Amino acid sequence: MSEAEVVTEVMPEVVIARSPAEALAAFGDGSDVTVIGGGTVVTPLLTHGVLWPGRVLMLHAAGLGTVVDGGVLEIGGAATLAAVAEVAPEPLASAARIPDYEIRGQGTAGGNIMIGGDLQAALVALGASVRSAGAGGERAEPVESFIAAPGGRLVLSIEVPRPRAGAFVQQRRRHSHTHPVLTVAVARRADGVVHLAVGSLAERAPAVACPSVEAALAAGATLRDAAAKVLDDVTPEDDPLASAWYRRRVLPVLVARALEKLERLEPGPAELGRPGPDFGEEGQ
Amino acid sequence: MKFVVNGRPRTTAAGPLTTLLYVLREELGLVGAKAGCQHGSCGSCTVLVNGEPRRSCLTLIGTLDGAVITTVEALGEPSHLSDVQVAFNEHYAAQCGFCTPGMVMAATALIERKGGPVDRHEVVEALGGHYCRCTGYAKILDAVVAASRGERLGHMAPTTLEVRGVEP
Repeated sequence: MSEAEVVTEVMPEVVIARSPAEALAAFGDGSDVTVIGGGTVVTPLLTHGVLWPGRVLMLHAAGLGTVVDGGVLEIGGAATLAAVAEVAPEPLASAARIPDYEIRGQGTAGGNIMIGGDLQAALVALGASVRSAGAGGERAEPVESFIAAPGGRLVLSIEVPRPRAGAFVQQRRRHSHTHPVLTVAVARRADGVVHLAVGSLAERAPAVACPSVEAALAAGATLRDAAAKVLDDVTPEDDPLASAWYRRRVLPVLVARALEKLERLEPGPAELGRPGPDFGEEGQ
Repeated sequence: MKFVVNGRPRTTAAGPLTTLLYVLREELGLVGAKAGCQHGSCGSCTVLVNGEPRRSCLTLIGTLDGAVITTVEALGEPSHLSDVQVAFNEHYAAQCGFCTPGMVMAATALIERKGGPVDRHEVVEALGGHYCRCTGYAKILDAVVAASRGERLGHMAPTTLEVRGVEP
């Protein structure tokens, strides 16, 4: 019998930021700091001992939780998904209406885009930009470039220009707490051009724009033919939720549905204001 | 950290990264909120934080300074159940009972925020994050809709204690 091992538990240093400036100071260059926005993702990792952080930055009181609904929607990095769903245009409103009520009220926009979450595809389609802090200071960039390598950055805000119309189609089981199987977001932006993005191509894979689909649409292709081009733009992968084969079969169908949904919409003031409930397509 | 639990001011020395669920059950002896999956998926730990339903297993003590917390213990007692609790009983909406505290808290918050009758779709949306592995949900939906309408069947199902002849 060996002697009992003495385990010294080192408690992490926790900073509860009371202002954006305090959050920035505590985040620094982003090295060796675990950020807790709503805590829906990090808390289970702490509870189950998967994560042993040295330093923790908590954002709930940092003043980053507002959603300002001006000509451009400015979403604070720590704004809840419920707050986003309340005022965002489609396809972002549907994307933010993730399962379930309690999680929406706690999970944050910044946390969601850091983990390859549901908002990404909608933000890409809408042409959103992300303002973040970290090594090299603050910067603003298109959401595509941010989500390609979000590590080491603190999301301060997400700016979303208002589109003329948008549609969201997602393959998932409602109320499941998993990542979706596939996400398709499409928006007719203010200039009238249609932009389409696909997410959930693999667990935590970043959403990507679909220029081949957009070019086909601009050239006057039928919606079904344009949708088929999606496989020129993306490379689905195998993950525990679905095989790459399955995703390749289903994705063009979902893209066509999203484009048809967009075409049915009549852009108008009512739609640009508050979208009605739209839970996307259920995968059955 | 100071907060109010079921009307009583409380303090805890637990660290900011401790979950509310842990403090409720292990420090305060309030075991109504259940430790089910402990990663936010099952809903059985749901309590009200400032009136809104929250997963206590995902809620860190560090976020709760000054918060008002309500657990199922504050809703009613065996001789004087809340409307939602009566409806769950009358409609046989509980079987093993493990999910019931979370269901009841979420349903209570739903009826509070709608301020009147709710339909089944609204209940499905509001309780969608709550798993029940016994009843199959239909009776739970019946119960919440009935409670929102203030309907009482007037026949409470006997409790286990009553069946066994045990005085409460």
